Amino acid sequence: MSLEREERLASEIKDLLGSRAVEIKIQRIRSIFVTVKKEDYKESIRKVVDRFAITHLSTITGADSGQTIDVMPHFSYAGTKITFKSSVPKTAAEIDTLTDIIPGAVMYEREIHDLLGVGFKGHPTPERFILPDDWPSDVYPLRKEYKVVRPEPIPKT
Amino acid sequence: MPEFTVIVGPQHPALKEPESFTFWVDGEDVVRTQVRIGYAHKGVEKAAESRTYIQNIPFIERICGICNVAHTICYTQNVEYLYGRQIPRRAEFIRTIIEELNRIHSHLLWIGIAGHEIGFDTLLMYVWRDREVVMDLIEAMTGNRVSTALMTIGGVTRDVTPELATKIRKGLDILEERTKYYEKIVASESTMLARTRGVGVLTREEAIKHCAVGPTLRASGIKFDVRAEDPYAAHDEVPFEVITADTCDLFGRVVVRVYETIESIRQVRYCLDHLSSGPIRIRLPNTPPRGESVSRVEAPRGEDIHYVRSDGTDRPSRYKVRAPTLGNLAALVEMLTSKGDYNVHVADIPIVLAGIDPCMCCMDRTARFIEPSKDREWVWTWNQLKKYAKEK
Repeated sequence: MSLEREERLASEIKDLLGSRAVEIKIQRIRSIFVTVKKEDYKESIRKVVDRFAITHLSTITGADSGQTIDVMPHFSYAGTKITFKSSVPKTAAEIDTLTDIIPGAVMYEREIHDLLGVGFKGHPTPERFILPDDWPSDVYPLRKEYKVVRPEPIPKT
Repeated sequence: MPEFTVIVGPQHPALKEPESFTFWVDGEDVVRTQVRIGYAHKGVEKAAESRTYIQNIPFIERICGICNVAHTICYTQNVEYLYGRQIPRRAEFIRTIIEELNRIHSHLLWIGIAGHEIGFDTLLMYVWRDREVVMDLIEAMTGNRVSTALMTIGGVTRDVTPELATKIRKGLDILEERTKYYEKIVASESTMLARTRGVGVLTREEAIKHCAVGPTLRASGIKFDVRAEDPYAAHDEVPFEVITADTCDLFGRVVVRVYETIESIRQVRYCLDHLSSGPIRIRLPNTPPRGESVSRVEAPRGEDIHYVRSDGTDRPSRYKVRAPTLGNLAALVEMLTSKGDYNVHVADIPIVLAGIDPCMCCMDRTARFIEPSKDREWVWTWNQLKKYAKEK
């Protein structure tokens, strides 16, 4: 499998973002990971989206990496998955919203807010989405410190 | 005129899909829509972290009954990407065969449901009778009608014998003939045309804006199909046409699904004709190397994307699933909002909801009554509402 196309795309992204791109990794054919700092997250995405006229955001993944939470929007550009990756500290879990660049991000950001407790600055409807209404507000089930407690087995009579 | 709030949900007996919608209605027109999900949140992503990669295969398969093949292909190929290994070509072809059979079954199921929602139950009866043909083929191939359990990390678990191939070919002939008949029906039957044309409009711009996926997106005239854009399994070789419609309404969504069924039949035929010989799986170690990977497939409902992160143990450190319906939810809210000349009627709600292919319709409804002049709000049960109607 030739990765020529991916390499060309990666170098174009590198030229565009300059020092903002901390790391650009070609994971496999048609899949690129771009790591950016939290402060540069929105601006870098805006630049790439405008430059390549990207319209489709597949989803946003949130993942617990110990002290930080990775926020990873997956964009689709001519068949290639471009994944941005930005870490936010758990103590101040907040990042800029993408909803004004790609309105399709609304549901995905609400999902991450519910399950991992990352706030999205400027989100139009930051309401509860997946968890029940009576769920405690500071418990985030997809964080590693949340342990699933099995209910006590019913004793046999 | 004061607006009414109609709450639809969370119970939807039609396809057992709990979602709650709040509709603000002005007379017969839906002015605004709000959606609330999570009633069936199973915690799959969290639970996947505590199971091994092998244990996760049947688990991921149970995310969705109808598109179980799409989810398992997406999962197994994602883990294979972590290993950086290519599976045997024969296994890729078998994956494509079962995937397309699954798509035929899902699309036929949907066409039946659409018929039911618009009050055309004869279509439901006919389509579901013919759908049994493809269910029998799936059963002959995997031993089960719905859950296929065919995927494994590194390939597939069952082979396609020449006898089975002959049987599938015979079944496909019947399916093709019947689907071509439905193609004629949906394009000419007056009930179908009256209830689907100009209903559930999603313009090209809105579809792009809300990142819609699958037949919903293609019915708005956008040529986006993961099988063509980001080919996986044997899709890099199997020829097929990406079906689109430019009507941007429900009629387009019906037409796209009917033609896609025919395309799928052709793809299965091609796979059977070009099935290469060789092994059907490779053995891989239990623990994949550290790393992360993203994989996409085109499920019957649209783009399905999975993300996996491995920390070098036998269990994934993070597993993320985005099923196509979530991608279409924002677009659905747009379809259910009247604007300008386009009015959404209350009676069209069920078919518009069903149009993106999760089907949830007429069920447990409560109406919230608001009397703005007296600043009063109350809720009536169905029986109270009936009683009120009789007394008046």
